[in-house]
Amino acid sequence: MDIRISGVTKVFEGDIVALDGVYFAAGAGEFVYLVGTTGSGKTTLLRVISREVLPTKGQVLVGGFDLRRMRYNDLAYYRRDLGIVFQDFRLLSHLTVLENVAFILEAMGVPPREVRDRSGFILERVGMWHRRFLKPPQLSGGEQQRVAIARAIVNAPSVLLADEPTGNLDPRTSDEIVQLLTSINASGTTVIMATHNQYLVDAYRHRVVELSRGRIIRDENQGRYAADVDL
Amino acid sequence: MSTFRYLLRDTFRLIFRHWGMSLLTLFSISAVFFLLGASSLLSLNTRHLLGNIEGQLTVQAYLKPGSDLEAAKKKVLTFGNIVQVVAITPDEALEHLKARLGNRAEVITLVGENPLPSALEIRVERAAHVSSLARRLVAMTEVEDVVYAGGLAEKLSRLSVFVGRLSVGILVIAVVAAVMVLFNTVRMAVYSRRDEIHVMLQVGATQTYVALPFVLQGMLLGMTGAAFAALTLLKGYSSAINVLAATMPFLLFLRDGVLLAKLGVVLVGAGICLGWIASWFAVVRYIRDAVKPL
Repeated sequence: MDIRISGVTKVFEGDIVALDGVYFAAGAGEFVYLVGTTGSGKTTLLRVISREVLPTKGQVLVGGFDLRRMRYNDLAYYRRDLGIVFQDFRLLSHLTVLENVAFILEAMGVPPREVRDRSGFILERVGMWHRRFLKPPQLSGGEQQRVAIARAIVNAPSVLLADEPTGNLDPRTSDEIVQLLTSINASGTTVIMATHNQYLVDAYRHRVVELSRGRIIRDENQGRYAADVDL
Repeated sequence: MSTFRYLLRDTFRLIFRHWGMSLLTLFSISAVFFLLGASSLLSLNTRHLLGNIEGQLTVQAYLKPGSDLEAAKKKVLTFGNIVQVVAITPDEALEHLKARLGNRAEVITLVGENPLPSALEIRVERAAHVSSLARRLVAMTEVEDVVYAGGLAEKLSRLSVFVGRLSVGILVIAVVAAVMVLFNTVRMAVYSRRDEIHVMLQVGATQTYVALPFVLQGMLLGMTGAAFAALTLLKGYSSAINVLAATMPFLLFLRDGVLLAKLGVVLVGAGICLGWIASWFAVVRYIRDAVKPL
């Protein structure tokens, strides 16, 4: 699924400019790091793509959908082709690991047998099958993020948006999470990951898009976290 | 089919996860619907009693000597709200009087000529129609005098109007109370599941799929509460009627089983409808706000 963002500006209440004339495109199967300081516009850009935020100006085309003109009823169907991973996991604490993953498929009306099979397969893939009957508070941060990723990809989305997925994790666990995201990307899913983690960006080389004050100031394939490293 | 199973499962989860709240709602709804049903029974019984009394209310119009009785009857029949007009000739009136006087009927023979006038005995549909009919009769040239229980008719009419208004008042209060109770219960359930709702909407669940368990919860609570109230009310009513009928046999209480069953069905139907309306309002606005982009 292609993503094309043309001249997008987002001004929040109080004249806070979160994005300022952003042009960004990502093709199917790409892995893109969004880097930049806090408040640079990374999260807003991800939320524009998930249509949680509507641009004040500009056009957003994702897989043929014009997000500014999207009909109310099309939103659910559009979001079924997106996976979203948050820094704070946002798992449902009263459900087990298996139920957290399965309820996404249930919401799509997938038959129970298929729900069991697909949830099991995805939990195996992220290495959480053995924890399937535990509830989120009984898991470590890394395990919770694995479950959150499983939930995001169980519906086989074309695009995975990850907002600081390693922000609350130790370096080793962060490593494992990015390896997992890389393997998901290798199977054809476009991954767009906002991060502050310099080590990860440098260790797992992909395209790097840097934002500052709502503008894209760097866009490099196989880039490093900081622009001046090779200078 | 799968979706329906998930929705039902989620509905029961919602009810049992907050079972204390659900129980409280059931009691509140039952109390409200009990009040609603009781006021309906009061109104139905009042109408039943009034109907019986009204059925016996007649207006007597005495005609001037020499008036055409049949012509007057035809004229009265053209008035509205008339149930029956009986033409009574002077001879028939005399026979009635004799029958009523019994042994003392001999007295009448002393008078010689029959002094009784021709008369019309008129029955109307409702007590409220008596006064207007009497006015029209008085205006007829053939009519000498009109006799009717005017005071009673007007009192019955006023009582009927009062009971009708009281029932409407109770109905409005009960409906508002039921909607508020159901609305708040569902709203609390919505807030307790707000994280879940947000995640579901973010991953592509339709608004209908997210809203339906809450709506079904409201409908189920409304239906169960109303059914409980209807059963209690109808059981209590039949016991109370037996006691009242034994102590006040002159009053004719409503004992129509079909009508009472219909009242029960109406109460349960109202419970379902109010549950649906209250929960729909409670959840839909929240979901609309949740999916609205910033």
